Amino acid sequence: MVRLITHNLLACHVKGCTSNNFPLKLQDVQIALREAEFNEDFLRGFIPRLEWGALVQAAREVGDDSLPAEVPEMLDDEFLKQLHHVLLEIHIDEGSMVCPNCKHVYPISSGIPNMLLAEHEIG
Amino acid sequence: MSKVTPAVIDDDPSAYETKHVHEVYDQIASHFSSTRYKPWPIIAAFLASLPPGWVGLDSGTGNGKYLPLPLERPGSVWTIGLDRSRNLLDAARNAGGAVREVVWGDVLGNGWRIGAFDYAISIATIHHLATPARRREAVERLLQSVSPSHGRVLIYVWAIEQDALSKRQIPTTPDASSPGAIVGEDVYVPWVLNPQPGPQKTSRRRKAATESEPEPSHEVQIEPQTFHRYYHMFAEGELDGLVNEAAKQLRLVIGPHTSAQRHTLGVEIVQSGWERSNHYVEVKRWQA
Repeated sequence: MVRLITHNLLACHVKGCTSNNFPLKLQDVQIALREAEFNEDFLRGFIPRLEWGALVQAAREVGDDSLPAEVPEMLDDEFLKQLHHVLLEIHIDEGSMVCPNCKHVYPISSGIPNMLLAEHEIG
Repeated sequence: MSKVTPAVIDDDPSAYETKHVHEVYDQIASHFSSTRYKPWPIIAAFLASLPPGWVGLDSGTGNGKYLPLPLERPGSVWTIGLDRSRNLLDAARNAGGAVREVVWGDVLGNGWRIGAFDYAISIATIHHLATPARRREAVERLLQSVSPSHGRVLIYVWAIEQDALSKRQIPTTPDASSPGAIVGEDVYVPWVLNPQPGPQKTSRRRKAATESEPEPSHEVQIEPQTFHRYYHMFAEGELDGLVNEAAKQLRLVIGPHTSAQRHTLGVEIVQSGWERSNHYVEVKRWQA
């Protein structure tokens, strides 16, 4: 499955593509919403590790604009619930991720992103 | 019964792995997956020790048996499973009865932000790479995938020194430079697949030696098919050596962090050893 938690970690790894290779742009996506168990400890621990701007942008690309542009100072319940939804309940079942730099396309099929490269493309 | 036999790598290593590892796993995926369900104690303890909020990479996740851990606090960390076999990922995506995060990729790839993960595990995977350089590169990828300041990495590979309970008979060669020692070997390990998709009665047996080969089922009349997977079976000290070489390649200082060091990136071997036919090593990255 690919959700925005994973998208926030993935980057283009084509040989020589080392700058502006993140975040991958989500295109032609089919999404499904599936409930996931809320875990506040995870979210609080994970927030400092997130690339926040990339998450906000990716959420917009899949049709969710509920997140604020910056991480709020007060992490209240309402915010954490919203973040939980964006990170863990929006599933990208089909679509593609395109490198903003080299335009390499990583397809997503049946919820699984294909990050394989041909041997000569690996850096 | 099929035996472990010596392997000769007679092709470009990448093409060789495609034929003798990836294609085999894609064919045996369903049966293989049904025999892999019990986590190793040291790996379970490693995952149980992670603070809430950490995210990790399971490089060579197979059927994803480590993705649900730690079971006592589900969802407090997230492990992303990566594997080369698309068919094994079909099992991994629902490992433990919940939806998991899995990615189709190669352990020699680098498809993530450098240092994005807090931890990485690679269990019974690196031994499928066909040259020392490729095995070292796989370790480099793991070291690069985790945070330079606190990343933790745990690696397991099959050992040439097998448990007395293991049914595997491994051909060994004495180490010419060190009397009494043996060296790592390239071998084929058979997998016997019964060509029937019905209920697999034999697959849930508790086995004394894990990772042992399934026996042909007696109920089945059709000739079972045997697949041969390539393995490099590691000798004692070889995995630690690989970590040291990978660290050197990445210009990381090897050893514990001391207060004298400044503007330095390093990696420390926290523990290494042998557990039930496997060699393992746990390392921690540090930044001064």
